[in-house]
Amino acid sequence: MTTISTSPPVARRRPFSMSVLLRQILLAVMGLIWLLPVYLLLANASKRPEVFGDYSIWQFGDLGGLVSNMADAWGRGRLSLGILSTALYAISGPALAVIIGAAAGFAIVALRLRNGFFWFVLIFASTIFPLQMILMPLFIGYAQTGLYNSRVGMILVYTVIAVPFSAFVMRNFFSGIAHQVFEAAVMDGASAWRIFWRIYLPMSAPALVAIFILQATFIWNDLLLGLTLSQSETVRPVIAALSALQSTYGGSAMSTVLAGGLLVSLPTVVLFLATQRAFTRGLSLGQF
Amino acid sequence: MTAPAARREEMLPQRKSRNAFALPSVGFIAPAVLLAGIVLYLPFLYTTYISFTDYNGLGDPEWVGLANYVQMFSDPGLVNSLVNTLYWVAGTIILPVGLGLFLAVLSHGLPGATFFRLPFLIPYALSGVAVGVIWSFVLQTNGALSQIVGFFGADAPRWLLDAPLNTFVMIVASSWQGAGVNALLFGIGLQSIPKEPLEAAKVDGASGFTMFRTMTWPMLAPLTTVVVGLSIVGSLKTFDIVWGMTKGGPGGVSETLALTMYKETFITNDYGLGAAVAVFLTVVTVLASVLYLRRQLAPERSV
Repeated sequence: MTTISTSPPVARRRPFSMSVLLRQILLAVMGLIWLLPVYLLLANASKRPEVFGDYSIWQFGDLGGLVSNMADAWGRGRLSLGILSTALYAISGPALAVIIGAAAGFAIVALRLRNGFFWFVLIFASTIFPLQMILMPLFIGYAQTGLYNSRVGMILVYTVIAVPFSAFVMRNFFSGIAHQVFEAAVMDGASAWRIFWRIYLPMSAPALVAIFILQATFIWNDLLLGLTLSQSETVRPVIAALSALQSTYGGSAMSTVLAGGLLVSLPTVVLFLATQRAFTRGLSLGQF
Repeated sequence: MTAPAARREEMLPQRKSRNAFALPSVGFIAPAVLLAGIVLYLPFLYTTYISFTDYNGLGDPEWVGLANYVQMFSDPGLVNSLVNTLYWVAGTIILPVGLGLFLAVLSHGLPGATFFRLPFLIPYALSGVAVGVIWSFVLQTNGALSQIVGFFGADAPRWLLDAPLNTFVMIVASSWQGAGVNALLFGIGLQSIPKEPLEAAKVDGASGFTMFRTMTWPMLAPLTTVVVGLSIVGSLKTFDIVWGMTKGGPGGVSETLALTMYKETFITNDYGLGAAVAVFLTVVTVLASVLYLRRQLAPERSV
């Protein structure tokens, strides 16, 4: 069901009022409380390890300290080794999943697959399984097929994990496209393949982008699959490396661990905030 | 709104008895079904089988019937994990969902709403491990929170060491991370509510909380169903943040079912018992989802 609200939310005829100001103040205060842990992260990631104990935890270190701690986590903490693989997984996994999920939605909605709803439920229901339930068999299966600790294996599992959600959103999104669009294209002699690539996919760009961002964030931040299915530092995703950094460094070099946490979070924070609008638009078109 | 739409789609009469696109339609759905079948369903079946065996990863699984399940239910540790998991479910419905709704209603239609929502979205993009790092820093003995409490002259509790307090503070940490995205979803829902009924109610003299309770809340129901449903399923599987902060400790008191399952399988190498916990967790999740969705999407209530 597609509901496109035509008037932007802010453009209401509302005179300046006390209640607006009160709401803004309340939101601002809550926002500051919300940012407090982020401030603590920044403040303590910027203290040089050797003087860490001399400061109160509320004090900020210095910018040079932040940079050197990040460099430390990046180099000695070995975060650099996993970053390229992680980027590869976080881009190719959702990209493949979006296409596969869209193809499933297309088969059900546009091509009117027989028992389409059953197949849809079958695909979507797999999100109910706790990830932990499939870890051990995947580990055994990966070990036997040589996929263990390989980039192909990691891309495969990250793609599959993202398929049900993209099928879910894309099926809903395609339901909002009039079936006449499809019929008209058939009249013009287009094949199903062509209609999918040339008409349905381009029409659904906002939804595709929204799914991609959400799943890329999820994959970038995944710990469990990376921990279970990979081992070497160049294949293992960066979050698993961060987790290892946390347990080996412990309390002695807290600032390095915090700087590492900050460093690996930067790409997703930037991606998420930069695309917030597109993201909201895509989901509002897709889900409801 | 999802389910009724789907139902309608099914009730549409087939226009032609033979669909000209029968073959392509199979081809288009095949990749999704095959991948989910091989990578998700097959492991699921294998785990179910392993839960009836004694297996340590080496040699062959030995069939032991229900022994793992008997052992699991007679273990006080499992009851503890179950209780903690229920805390997580209840806490996740109350805190991040409630806060998300509150933030969305508060910022809806407000000048600069995007800007005001920003602080709440930053934590969502952080990884569970990074969140664990920050919050263990906040909550450690003599950490930031203890200092705040001490500033007001009170003795700080041992946040992460005593149960069930450690589970509660971790729920707060996870709410800190999750409230923003719920606010985003509720914000989308609020935008899609038609304006006319609200204007009419305003003319009739409704305002503030009455307006919210009688008009906005019922119209938000389909979205609330989705958000609460996702929260239930997500919270039953809580792993990352607990792993990052306490590893389930001390002594397993803050373990959730997901953690127990992981520890039994990959640390104790008792694959059979770990699989039994996994099956139990799946059954609980499926039951919760079905019960919840049946209640929410019952035909007479469809919106």
